[in-house]
Amino acid sequence: MTDYMTLSAAAVKEAQKVGADYADARTNLLQTESFGLHNGALEKASMGEECGLGLRVLVDGAWGYAATVGTDKGALHEVATRAVNAARALAGARSEPITLSQDEIVSGEYRTPVKEDPFAMSAADKVAFLQEADKGLQGEESVVARDVNLGNRRERQWFAASNGAEQYQELVRCGAGVSATAAKKGVVERRSFPASFGGDYRAAGFEHVRSMDLASHARQVRDEAVELTTAPICEAGTRDLLLMGNQLMLQIHESVGHPNELDRVFGHEVDLAGASFATTDKLGEYQYGSEIVNLVADSTVEGGLDTRAWDDDGVASGRWHVVKDGIFNGYHTSREWADRIGEDTSRGCNRSEGWYNPPIIRITNLSLMPGTWTLDNMIADTEDGVLCDTVKMWSIDQRRLNFQFTTEIGWEIKDGKKGRMVRKPTYQGNTPDFWRSCDAICDESHWQLWGVPNCGKGNPMQVAEMSHGCSPARFRNQTFVV
Amino acid sequence: MALTKNYGLGSEALLDAASELVELAFAKESVHEAEAIISLTVNSFVRFADTGPTQSAERAKIDVHLRVRREADGQFFEASAEGQSLDEVAMDKLIEQASSIAAISPAMQTPLELGGPVEVSLGSCDSATLTHGPREKAIAIKRALAAAKAVDASPAGLYDTTGHAVALANSKGRQVRNETSRASFALTVTGPSEGGLGGSGWAETIRSSVGELDIDGTIERAIAKAAIGQERGAVEPGEYTVILEPAAVSSLLLFASYYGFGAKEVAEQSSFLCDRIGTRAFAEKITIHDNWDHPMYQSCSFDGEGSPKRVVPLVEAGVLQKPVTDRRFAVLNGGSADDSTGHGDVQPSGSGPSAGSLCVDAGTTSNADLIAGVERGLLITQFHYTNLIDPREMSLTGMTRNGLFLIENGRIVQPLKNLRFTESLLRAMERVTDVGSQLDISGALFDGEVITPALRIDGFRFTSATDF
Repeated sequence: MTDYMTLSAAAVKEAQKVGADYADARTNLLQTESFGLHNGALEKASMGEECGLGLRVLVDGAWGYAATVGTDKGALHEVATRAVNAARALAGARSEPITLSQDEIVSGEYRTPVKEDPFAMSAADKVAFLQEADKGLQGEESVVARDVNLGNRRERQWFAASNGAEQYQELVRCGAGVSATAAKKGVVERRSFPASFGGDYRAAGFEHVRSMDLASHARQVRDEAVELTTAPICEAGTRDLLLMGNQLMLQIHESVGHPNELDRVFGHEVDLAGASFATTDKLGEYQYGSEIVNLVADSTVEGGLDTRAWDDDGVASGRWHVVKDGIFNGYHTSREWADRIGEDTSRGCNRSEGWYNPPIIRITNLSLMPGTWTLDNMIADTEDGVLCDTVKMWSIDQRRLNFQFTTEIGWEIKDGKKGRMVRKPTYQGNTPDFWRSCDAICDESHWQLWGVPNCGKGNPMQVAEMSHGCSPARFRNQTFVV
Repeated sequence: MALTKNYGLGSEALLDAASELVELAFAKESVHEAEAIISLTVNSFVRFADTGPTQSAERAKIDVHLRVRREADGQFFEASAEGQSLDEVAMDKLIEQASSIAAISPAMQTPLELGGPVEVSLGSCDSATLTHGPREKAIAIKRALAAAKAVDASPAGLYDTTGHAVALANSKGRQVRNETSRASFALTVTGPSEGGLGGSGWAETIRSSVGELDIDGTIERAIAKAAIGQERGAVEPGEYTVILEPAAVSSLLLFASYYGFGAKEVAEQSSFLCDRIGTRAFAEKITIHDNWDHPMYQSCSFDGEGSPKRVVPLVEAGVLQKPVTDRRFAVLNGGSADDSTGHGDVQPSGSGPSAGSLCVDAGTTSNADLIAGVERGLLITQFHYTNLIDPREMSLTGMTRNGLFLIENGRIVQPLKNLRFTESLLRAMERVTDVGSQLDISGALFDGEVITPALRIDGFRFTSATDF
């Protein structure tokens, strides 16, 4: 461990030697495991390990970044020279120098609390675990694809900065899921548990995967997939929308998280990911949602995929309201961006995908705070609605206003009763109107943290992880489309 | 970087290293077949926005993939491991990891031998692209910044150059290698308006070598698309005749690439090809190939199994053809593994074969004449965040972006506020009534690129609108 920190610190010193005004270096060691059964066959069985160093420098008010695979000390001079030369070459094209907020960057260590180390468990046990879950998916002829997935990651990072700070972090993330795809007469439908696109992930050990009890839920997943192939398509019209947590979490992600990234607000992501309607003139005044809507960013919450001690600026994690009692209250920022909204210190949201990429502002764990309802009461209180569950499709415009989402499954609610199953429920709306229509949120007993392990942003695109906690909630008079 | 000093971008050295790794693995008693893929990527990029260059990177990485199999009673047991180092300790670790998983893997359901020797073309990496650094990029970026400033608009963009070398070797004697390069310059300009989020325009140029990039033309097109100073009109959602420029066509067809043109989706009944192969589901004017060797942009000459990529007809004069295959699906479809069209993923993989180099044949109508032929319709530059609702019908939704214009009586009359479309790719392609003569290459929000001309489509469906 010390050797890697020495490497990071040496890279920073080398950068200073060749002219960096500020430098930080990250040596990353990433271990991954991926297992996947497809129709009972082990189609994914892989272990991976990557290690490299990324050096970021600020010279004459411009950033430079160079990255190299491996841990060769002999490469540091060349890496530092490249980073510094890049910054110098680009500084002349800047209209103003980049400056950093005056955060206190301290030394320390952080490790994800883990009860059962996923990497200590044998591969044979992991495959057996998947096979057990797959059993419940079997036995229906119309199920054309059965998938059981499991993934583990351990990311170690040795961060050193030119103020002398040294930070070590060890982040462990685990996840798994099952899905079944059924086909009948040209209709193809998929059901997943506990979430789609590979399952649910958390910063935790294998205890998280065990807690899902995939084997017990697999049969229901299979049966719902089959039933969906003959279910009617959800009709178009205006009705109340009740969202379960594994769909609401994506709504939070796309319509609150991304528009809240301050670099995006200022147009610096418009070349690919897009901009934001949540401009700085709205801060502190704008009615983002109804009064019961409280959205809290928290990079300290237990189990969050972005729970850690520091970001890649070296800034400490924190917790703050993005929306408080319905009012737009705060942004995700970094040391480079904090002063644009008059804040002295960063919110600690600058993150990169491994050593190969320079950091950019990323959504941290962002959650809708629980309300007071039970799901049963919320259904009983709904005259005409649709209960929608599990992400199937999402799309949102480049300012994060106009969205259209489809879920895997829905159930009609008529006169307070959950009725027939419908397929392809698709709702279309506008971000502030949507959040302002929220009139019921279920209580803490329904609240769950959901992992997003594949958030894309940046150009070239980088992938980051974060979690969104929520309870089921109701949104009045939403537009369903076919 | 130090890495390129050690290996250059020479795919020959990578092939030697891959062969060595295979030999080491094969020497292990429990390994009966082995395959190694080693790739080297050297990348330089600069992002820029209103304040100038905002981010840059000079970077190199190596990726090592080892696939091993044990064989018992005519059955194969397979696994893989991945790393980023070629030193002896790292190679031993890879072999140990992969073989330890193979030891406990269930038997493969489609037992195939690895592929034997084949010939593939080498390709080439343009040296000017490989050495193109931030200093050179800054020159072009300054031109973009100045051009945007001259019209009081905010710029944002990316200038990226990449060299890539890859080699595959296996214990059956397959040894293939390839080198490619890619350069791109993209610019988005946003006009002044309340909140700084006025109309925007976008253009991009992508080529195999940096010297072929049309940077000044790209800057000019992006600024023109922003229609600075012009009031944006609004039209109601509904059906319109549209001229989709290549980037818009690309973001639709990429979903056929991800989810439709592969043999696995067909086998599992989720492809739009199901029950439609051999039928004229697209307009007769549409012909599409998967062509890795297109003169406009060349990609790797072999797939993740080392099979030579074939140029595969996917749509011929509107008639849907058979899907692309890998070795496994070549067998499942009744042929031999060597009949693979060369579209396999790196194995073992949960993903089936995919057509990653879609090329739509050009027509004969100039872009100006495409517009001139529309009595009332929309010109669409680009779609944003297109996504798939239903794979079987290929129904998609997404937003217009960076240049939506009203066409009346054959002339562009006004920039418009954006619209959301919800439309089936099948229905849209069936309604193509004209095809442009000018090809371009472009991608979308997610991975991949398509070479295509602009298309005229009648009755394209828009389902909602925005106020910007």
